[in-house]
Amino acid sequence: MDIGSLKKQSDLSYDIAVAKRNALEKAHARQIIVYNEHIFRADPQTICLVRTLKETNDTFFVLDTNSNPVQITDPTGFLSKLIERNQETLNAYHQTQQTFTKKGA
Amino acid sequence: MSQGVLLFCFDTEHTRYHKILEKCVHLIRRNIKLEITVITNYATFKKIKPLGFINYKFIEPELGNTKLGKEWNNVDRHLAYELSPYDTTLVMDIDYFCFTDNLLQYLDTGYDFLVPDQAYDLTDRDTFDERKWSMIPMVWATVFIFKKSEKSRKIFEMIKYVKKYYRYFNAMYRIYSSNLRNDYVFAIALQQLGGFVGYDKFPFALSTLPPDCEIVEMTDDGIAWTHNDQINFIEQQDVHVLNKEVADV
Repeated sequence: MDIGSLKKQSDLSYDIAVAKRNALEKAHARQIIVYNEHIFRADPQTICLVRTLKETNDTFFVLDTNSNPVQITDPTGFLSKLIERNQETLNAYHQTQQTFTKKGA
Repeated sequence: MSQGVLLFCFDTEHTRYHKILEKCVHLIRRNIKLEITVITNYATFKKIKPLGFINYKFIEPELGNTKLGKEWNNVDRHLAYELSPYDTTLVMDIDYFCFTDNLLQYLDTGYDFLVPDQAYDLTDRDTFDERKWSMIPMVWATVFIFKKSEKSRKIFEMIKYVKKYYRYFNAMYRIYSSNLRNDYVFAIALQQLGGFVGYDKFPFALSTLPPDCEIVEMTDDGIAWTHNDQINFIEQQDVHVLNKEVADV
């Protein structure tokens, strides 16, 4: 394979890496939700924490993104919103990833 | 409780900001769907094409500030509290384009004042590592939300104070740029009023295209740009565009 082709592949890899990084940032921005007048990230940590606390408590406290405590009185509803938003963002990220695959990443 | 978007727009000799405003308003209508108030002057207002229902408030911009040697009418942001007709206000630079409704939910928090303190460089160069340019971590006054409350009123009073004595604060915090930047005015005011221990922030970074990115296309869903002979695009993500030639796209 000539060096021109290798350079082309290198440029493509870089473009895809930047696009992938941007797509991930987009997913992170979208993963933020407002619930009960407070701000949360619908990330794996929050989802796991809420699910764990929900197993033994009907109401409990968690911290929002500014480290303020929030009482959760409807754990099922809260968990459902977190999972919904988390999967919405990852689904969008997955679709973007598919386009990278088609480009030969 | 009323909610709305407040925008500031003043044309200068070099930049037709009203053209950027028209794009910004279109996207707010499409994605944020809140009432809009534009703070402008009559000279700029005359050039804005009909945009449907918008509240206009006329003020004469305070002159004297510059950016890269060009006129930069950006120092009226401290008036947002008085000028906003809304109980909860989203203030945005007109070069911040909302391709999503992400910002809408933040109007329903219990926070009196929220501002982002991080920017994300869409060109993968980490251009916005601002820490080295001053002794104070800056915020990005590009986008902020405030409620009409006692706490917010005090924040704006502090912003006015910092603006009035900006030369002193600029030197004290060893800020690299000598012109007045709202980002630093707000950061200093929030730090001072917050007892030097912190303040509430948006948990996201502003996705930003640096000034050397040329915008080649803008649709209702996203934006495409070129940089270093590379073309890239992003969709369904809010973007802060620093190249003012976006007015001509």
